[in-house]
Amino acid sequence: MDIIRGVFKMPRLWWLISLILLVLLATLPLYGSAYTVILITAIIMYVILTVSWTMFFAPTGYLSLATAAFFGIGIYTMAILGEQLPLLPAVIAGGLVSFVVALIVGAITLRLRGVYFTIFTFGLVELIKHLLLFWEINVTGTRGRFVVLENNNTIFGVILGIFVVLMLTYYLLRRSKYGLALRSIGENEEAAAHLGVNVNLLKVFTFALSAFFMGAAGAIMATRWTYVDPYVAFNVLHSFLPVLMAIFGGMSQLYSPIIGAVIFAYIEEQLLTRFPEYFMLIFGVILVVAILYLPNGLVGLVRKWWQKGLREENVNS
Amino acid sequence: MLVSALNIVINGLLLGGLYALVAMGLNLQYGVARVLNIAHGEFIMLGAFITWAMYTKFGINPLLSIVIVGPIVFIIGFIIQRTLFTSLRTSAPSQPAFEGSSMLASFGLLFIIQNVALIIWGGDMRAYSYYNFGINLGGAVFAANRLIALIFAVVIGIAFYIFLVRTRIGKAIRAAAEDPTTAGIMGVNINLVLALCFGLGAVMAGLAGVFLSMCFPIYPVMGLEYLIITLIVVVLGGLGSIPGSFIGGFILGLIGSAVSSWQPSLALAAYYFIFMLLLIIRPKGILGK
Amino acid sequence: MRNKSIMFMVSLLLVLVLMALSLFVACPAPAKDKIVVGMSRPLSGPLAIIGDSAFRPIYETWVPMVNADGGIYMSKYGKYLPIELKIYDDKSDVGTMTRLTEKLILEDKVDFLWPACGTSFVFGQAPIANKYGYVLVTAEGGATTIKEALPSLPYLFVSLSFSDWYEVPVLAGILAEQGVKTAYVVYIADLHGIEYSGVFGIELPKKGIQIVGNVSVPPDLKDFAPVITDAMNSGADAFLCEGYPDQVLPAMGTSIALGYNPKVWLGGPGANFGFFHTAFGPAVEGVTCWAVANRKTSPAMKEMYDLLYEGKPEDVHDWWGHPLYWASLDIWKAAVEKVGSTDQDALREVLATTKLDTVLGPTWFTMFGDGGGLMAYESHTGEVGQWINGELEVVGYTGIEETLPNYKATADFVYPKPLWPAPAE
Repeated sequence: MDIIRGVFKMPRLWWLISLILLVLLATLPLYGSAYTVILITAIIMYVILTVSWTMFFAPTGYLSLATAAFFGIGIYTMAILGEQLPLLPAVIAGGLVSFVVALIVGAITLRLRGVYFTIFTFGLVELIKHLLLFWEINVTGTRGRFVVLENNNTIFGVILGIFVVLMLTYYLLRRSKYGLALRSIGENEEAAAHLGVNVNLLKVFTFALSAFFMGAAGAIMATRWTYVDPYVAFNVLHSFLPVLMAIFGGMSQLYSPIIGAVIFAYIEEQLLTRFPEYFMLIFGVILVVAILYLPNGLVGLVRKWWQKGLREENVNS
Repeated sequence: MLVSALNIVINGLLLGGLYALVAMGLNLQYGVARVLNIAHGEFIMLGAFITWAMYTKFGINPLLSIVIVGPIVFIIGFIIQRTLFTSLRTSAPSQPAFEGSSMLASFGLLFIIQNVALIIWGGDMRAYSYYNFGINLGGAVFAANRLIALIFAVVIGIAFYIFLVRTRIGKAIRAAAEDPTTAGIMGVNINLVLALCFGLGAVMAGLAGVFLSMCFPIYPVMGLEYLIITLIVVVLGGLGSIPGSFIGGFILGLIGSAVSSWQPSLALAAYYFIFMLLLIIRPKGILGK
Repeated sequence: MRNKSIMFMVSLLLVLVLMALSLFVACPAPAKDKIVVGMSRPLSGPLAIIGDSAFRPIYETWVPMVNADGGIYMSKYGKYLPIELKIYDDKSDVGTMTRLTEKLILEDKVDFLWPACGTSFVFGQAPIANKYGYVLVTAEGGATTIKEALPSLPYLFVSLSFSDWYEVPVLAGILAEQGVKTAYVVYIADLHGIEYSGVFGIELPKKGIQIVGNVSVPPDLKDFAPVITDAMNSGADAFLCEGYPDQVLPAMGTSIALGYNPKVWLGGPGANFGFFHTAFGPAVEGVTCWAVANRKTSPAMKEMYDLLYEGKPEDVHDWWGHPLYWASLDIWKAAVEKVGSTDQDALREVLATTKLDTVLGPTWFTMFGDGGGLMAYESHTGEVGQWINGELEVVGYTGIEETLPNYKATADFVYPKPLWPAPAE
């Protein structure tokens, strides 16, 4: 009941804007060029990774670098099940496998805090990668797998669907009493436990929930890449980029990680194609400058300007 | 059997010495300056490439490169801390906020340094031969250059520890690590101390790069690979514990060597497995507080 | 609340503007005054090590050379058109590579597509090139597994030699002729390594050579001492290390340090490069590797090497891949000129059916059904090389011309390999 009421609490203007944006996006294949669809697919992939990472980090303060692990699990699930299952069930399977692995990992790491949790999750990516490599070589006798090539518009549709479900989930999570309880963990875990919040269950469940979306995104992206091996699937960049994107955009609002991911991904695309030789140099400088002058992320900066403008207006009137 | 056990131990120690040195540098940067420096591996790469360039272009002995690499990376590290991280630290609202933003900024540094290296040296792999002959120790054979690297790593590590414990600056560094605010009140110039720490951390990575280039092929994108191992060593030994990093380096080296001789393709998986297991059993590392 | 909504709208507007911007880039040029060739290359990231030393020096030399003569003659336009390269950085990431490849094809509408770097990238790029009907002549990368995929990829033309195409059979012939009885195999734990290990396992026993050790190493293993010690204890005649420079160089360094002197020491991709010689100096004497040609192979080859390596350090030399990459561009140009336009289907037809002249001599592709092809091994000028007197020589066995008519051994195989030199310092 609480959840349903939450949906309707959302201001009408927000709903309208989100809906317009969604319709614009969903009809993109009709008016956008074929490449625009591909580019937006890649950007939405980043958005999903960033938002689902933020979903766990923002309330709890636990910085996870396991994104690449759950993304990679999704990719491999698709590579293995893709030929046996239709597309959608295979994508959901990718999410579910990630979900289960995240539940187990979450339960194991309950005691770990701060940077210890971060490094553990990072080790997870490498551990899974190397175990999978060992398994593929010594047991299945292969290293790479071919994935069935899908139509670009289908992929776009599926990834947009994952994105919508993710945003609704995140919105409800923030609004519900679970979200409140989660935030109390971030503020003071012991106090939250005393208040009768089942800290462990809540933490682990949210971690697994975020992993579900990462895995689903991985599963659908695998059909674009057509060939995967453990090194392709478990690329540490996919752990770091969502963190960078989230910090870049800020995390205070529901939409700030989206803005961060979109702009970040767009700048990256422009640099890779326009200044390929100096991609990392320019990207690095932008990162350093952004972090120096945007301590609360891009959204934080715009909000500050906005509030300053409002104050001046008030003074003038 | 005995010989192969000896082989495992010696090889583990040889590799562990390098890990220990790099990890001490990173631990100094994180433990005191609170910067989880993702660009740490790039200083290894810089040290390795400067040494290679000096040796192949001018015939300068790699060991002599220590006195060239040391000051160069120290100055780079010092300046970076004085400008970038100091301004981030003073403007950050909280400790976790600073840790997040400084990690992000060090990511930017990684990109910048790597791209500059790619422009200067190209992406190719480089190597040279230096003291590459076998030394026989009770039936176990290993390369002379790696023994040299180990000896230097240990000497530098111990010298640095004595510096930390015995000298005034060393005490100031430790005070700053314990409690920066109080240290500041007690008259420690905190910004200078942090810059020193960062510079010294970079020096250790740079020197490890010097020794590394004597034993392994080098390339501009090698940094991240070593960074990952280093992070593990630092956490394994305990954050903020310099002796912990030193010991952690050797432990990881021994684990790797033992698993490699049993099943080479599982060596890296074993690293991570044992490391994660240790974390769960002792979440604060071996010597962590 | 109002404040928040306006914020959201501002951000939204920003996103929409960016989206709109991406829609309105790249308008096609009206008059044809150049040939645009698109490539997605690993300019940054881990694969930059391979890309920068393999195909990159080739296209950076070959394209200016062709353009100096005015470019490629296109009969449809009745004139020579210069080649313009459009290169994107895929940061060594397959996902980025597939996206940039589609950008080159769909948005930039490049006239021709040149290859990305590495075997897994070929696997990722070929289905895309095929989907849009773009001919893809590859550079770095090749594997036996690609033979299974070739029948369904008619636009794919693979130029690099690999394990059973036709390196290992030649190696087996050489080893058998010299009387090698046992071999110890170390291979990198990836597609490339598994494949070689498998082909060694088929081709060597055919010639009566027994494999006494077969060990895989993960791509980022640093310490080779345990592996080399094990190889030493096996007492095998031949030590075969199939990996990348990352593995071959440490394996070599450790072998020298531990005094491991097998009668044959083979290093896969790594020992064929100039930097292998500059790194190890006189110790390279007698080391075996994969090689296609050197300056003695033919006057055309000498001319190519002189042009390619003029004023460059020895580090950049590559006696295995470079001649084949060069030949792949030669055959591509010859075929394009025969077609006279940017018609991809016609280009595919010419490449699939015609013997054309390249730096190797007469060169053609062996086609797989109605699918793509591999550069015919009969047109290879070499497969196996050995460092002799500081030069990388192509070596063979008696009667090799029967299978490989174009094969040109430039020296006799040295067996056993001389011992590592005594330490100089």
